[in-house]
Amino acid sequence: MIAKPQIAKSSAGAAPAITVENLSFTYHGSDEPALRGISFIQSAGEMIGIVGASGVGKSTLAKCLNRIIPEFEGGRFAGRVIIGNRSFEDLAVHDVAGAVGMVFQDFEAQLFSTNVAHEVAFAMEQAGMSRAEMVRRIGPALQAVGLAGFEHRDPTTLSGGEKQRLAIAAVLALEPGVIVMDEPTTDLDPEGRAEVFALIQHLRAQGLTLVVIEHETGELRGCDRILLMREGAIAADAPPGELFTRIDLLEESGVRPPDLNRVLAGLGISQPADDVDQAEVLIRCTFPNLPHPLASAIDAPSDSMKLSAETPLVELNDLTFSYAADRRALDAVSLKVMPGEFVAVIGQNGSGKTTLAKHIIGLLTPERGRVMLDGRDRSQLRPAESAHLVGYVFQNPDHQIFAATVEDEVKFGPRNFGLPADEIEHRCAEVLRAVNLEHERAADPFLLGKGQRQRLAVASVLALRPRLLILDEPTTGLDYREQRRMMTLVSDLNRAGIAIVMITHTPSLVAEYARRVILMRSGRIIFDGPVGGFFAQHELLRTSSFRAPEVIELAARLGTIAATPEKLANWIRDHR
Amino acid sequence: MPLYFYIDRAGVLHRLHPTVKVLALFVMFWSVYWVDHPLALLPLAIVIMLAARSAGAWPNFYRLRWLFVMVIFFTALAWMVFYRRGPALLDLGIIHLSRASLLFGFGRGLKLAELLATSVVFLSTTKIEEFTVGLLSIGVPYRAGFAITLAFRLAPLFMDSAVTVYQAQALRGYDFNRGGPLARVKRYVPVIIPVFMGSLRKANAMAMALEARGFGRLSQPTSFIEYPIAARDVIATIILIMIAAAYFMIYYSGYGAISLK
Amino acid sequence: MTELRLMWRNTRMIVLCAISAALYAAVLVPFKVVPLIPGVTELRPANAIPIVCSFLFGPAAAWGAAIGNMIGDFFGGVGPGDIFGFLGNLFYGYVPYKVWQVIAAGESPVSRSPLTIAKYVFACLMASMLCADVVGWGDNLLALRPFSMLGNIIVFNNMLAAVVLAPFILLAVYPRVRKGRMTYEDVMPEIRRPARITALCGLAMMVAGIVGAWVIGNLISTGYWMPAFMPAGAIQPPYDRAMALLVSPFIILAAAGLALM
Repeated sequence: MIAKPQIAKSSAGAAPAITVENLSFTYHGSDEPALRGISFIQSAGEMIGIVGASGVGKSTLAKCLNRIIPEFEGGRFAGRVIIGNRSFEDLAVHDVAGAVGMVFQDFEAQLFSTNVAHEVAFAMEQAGMSRAEMVRRIGPALQAVGLAGFEHRDPTTLSGGEKQRLAIAAVLALEPGVIVMDEPTTDLDPEGRAEVFALIQHLRAQGLTLVVIEHETGELRGCDRILLMREGAIAADAPPGELFTRIDLLEESGVRPPDLNRVLAGLGISQPADDVDQAEVLIRCTFPNLPHPLASAIDAPSDSMKLSAETPLVELNDLTFSYAADRRALDAVSLKVMPGEFVAVIGQNGSGKTTLAKHIIGLLTPERGRVMLDGRDRSQLRPAESAHLVGYVFQNPDHQIFAATVEDEVKFGPRNFGLPADEIEHRCAEVLRAVNLEHERAADPFLLGKGQRQRLAVASVLALRPRLLILDEPTTGLDYREQRRMMTLVSDLNRAGIAIVMITHTPSLVAEYARRVILMRSGRIIFDGPVGGFFAQHELLRTSSFRAPEVIELAARLGTIAATPEKLANWIRDHR
Repeated sequence: MPLYFYIDRAGVLHRLHPTVKVLALFVMFWSVYWVDHPLALLPLAIVIMLAARSAGAWPNFYRLRWLFVMVIFFTALAWMVFYRRGPALLDLGIIHLSRASLLFGFGRGLKLAELLATSVVFLSTTKIEEFTVGLLSIGVPYRAGFAITLAFRLAPLFMDSAVTVYQAQALRGYDFNRGGPLARVKRYVPVIIPVFMGSLRKANAMAMALEARGFGRLSQPTSFIEYPIAARDVIATIILIMIAAAYFMIYYSGYGAISLK
Repeated sequence: MTELRLMWRNTRMIVLCAISAALYAAVLVPFKVVPLIPGVTELRPANAIPIVCSFLFGPAAAWGAAIGNMIGDFFGGVGPGDIFGFLGNLFYGYVPYKVWQVIAAGESPVSRSPLTIAKYVFACLMASMLCADVVGWGDNLLALRPFSMLGNIIVFNNMLAAVVLAPFILLAVYPRVRKGRMTYEDVMPEIRRPARITALCGLAMMVAGIVGAWVIGNLISTGYWMPAFMPAGAIQPPYDRAMALLVSPFIILAAAGLALM
């Protein structure tokens, strides 16, 4: 059931910063409304988070706030948006820039200048400000986002988190009263994500009115209110503490509830918890007989690596490689991957993960060392042989999709290797079934959703029947449902006997799905072992700025290792 | 943002005002226009070499050494075919080799090479934002200058994605080198389509982000970038004007041409 | 031709211009397949991009082609895209959609009927030839290279990309861009078309100008033919004055025709 839209009263009673009245919108050429009668009031200084599955109208709503809709993207628009006490009807997007600042997901698409200071000045130039005024404002704006001293850097040389913070500074310089952020961290690694959310908290403390669209619910605990959207309407409008306890509603709406709340709900505890400390207290109050952990009690990993006599699928010996003379991208790396394994490769950007993968698939040739595939030297293999051993799914599915139909895309690889037609047909049907796209055979791949395109990319590589599949960040930019679907697919493939090497930044994926972790730093492997053991290494986690998922942390406090909220709740029930 | 050839150092040429650098390009063009004889082109070659030395641009010249040789050779050859003047030293039918055609062809090759060398020095010392400032100062409208800057910024991004797509297709067994030259050109389809569609996905986001920052409000926004004029700019301008005048004088007084005798 | 000016008021068109330019340059640089004549020209799959963009983005593609060529030159080191290269590529991106509007308004360029294919080839041929006319004429005007050398290579090169590669890209991207409402007709619905009869006159003038310039340019620069009324000083190689006097009117005629279309 979708809750009836209602005008929620702003909590603090302060002057409203944003008033949205009965807002509806239908895009040109579509019959389905993207927004259906949205109403809410946001007080000045309030921070609202918007959550919901992909395609429920979150971005559409955001775009209505600065007139991108209906000025820039046309369609049928009804209702009113009032910012402060002004309605901007009949104004163009660029006229509203000073009142409503907007930050987008794709940081590459919102940086236009050749140095950092000029990027911040850009919006001020457009507003016709004097140079003296620009100079006065640039310093504080960069200070606010923690980029002071970066004035002369080229934006292309910044990290993702820095780029996104620069985009925020560029908006701050105009001193808008309201800032809207549309998934500002979706394309970032955990470090960049943490940077941006720290900045958001900082802005909030300064009294800015903020609207933040975000997938990771855990990050939104600091909001005043959360709007849960479903099918173009507001399904719930509540403070995070309240909304995050409604696990079923969130799950039904395709939103991942924060792990801590899932554990608590699984135990029948109705209070919310903002962090691991609170959750532990709540659990211990409810189950006073839970054992207290001793450091030694954390079991050695049960799923230790099996020593087998099989030939390793991949064997790297003393691999060394550098892009530039002064820094090694890979430094004497050795490792083996056995058939059927599920390995997660983690590490900060630039630690050598992708370079490692590119050696396995032969896109790079090592300066020193050897790559063996199934016991044979990789340089001796013909393309068809190596394609049958390893497949590589690039991070961005759009880097390979080109065919007119889903079917043609899948058949592209097998056709290149000259397989007979009936074999190609057979494989196509098989892999489309595996990735759950058999009903989209004739569809245009470019019109599919991001999750579907990602699965299509997997299918088109699977069609070559590799024994090892390397996936580079397979869940980037996917919403909760699509992430789940993607990972279910990957673990099904693994169960069917395909070895998986997954490069990822997402701690919860490592915890939930992988069996072995390889942690890289500056071109070296600094940890290689079972997942359970990895998350028990607190010092290592801290120094590699890899934040363990909250559920793992909570489990450790309680004296166990559990990768998912369900497993932890079960363990607690067994041990109370 | 550095261009492909940009050499990062704080030399005198690097610090010249962008407008002066653009003026230098015009002066070189102007000067070579008035003379034909290779000897008359020689002083200019020396000026350019001195500039290249001062800019530390030798690595770029080394990188392009074969291009320079080819430009001179093929231009000279072409004019031996088309410039059929003066008594033939050797007549091979299509090729008319005379003292005049030799001098003329070699002169043209040298001219092109000098223009090429000038631009290499320019690129070695000029960042894209300076180039844009230079364009704006000779009357290019703001938005056109902006489009040029943006295109310069996007080109390397698209190149990276073109290379990635190339690798992705090669991994799926696609052979780019199959067939004759014609077929080979056609085999770029699976590379160009993803790059094209990817850039279009960006186009809308970019236009939105621009508007959201107020782009489009003024046709002539104010400018943050400022290049004060220094003494070196005045001196450089005087030298450039002298070169331009000198070359016109050479032409005017009848030197620099190729005699047919 | 007003849309070449009007498009600068539209943020989306400015972004599409930058994207067309960056795409052109991005495919130009890493995939220079075979140098046909080193230092002069090479077989470039990138030449398909301006054609494809023209059908999609109209005026934005015209400026995009000009800027993209300039950036390609910058990265490749051929020189800061001389003014004629800029102008020639501007026409290369401008002519296809313009001709299409007159001879096939409302038709999809990717339909497979023989008539549509013929119209497509015609539009591309005109674009390639005008580009070649302008570059060849300009180079010969400055007596750098003979018209018939560069002029014919460019026609050949551009047509190759337009016929062998561009249709396959268009086939994939045209319907999708239409669906995404990103064609110039969607983005700039305010573009006005002239009366049919004016447009047809313009087309006739353009064709006469393009073909005339090409034929005369070739005849003169090879020395096969020179009208009797030419002064004696102009009938000598490198024929730069003859170019100025005889080919310029045709180029102007073609441009005037385009302005009417």
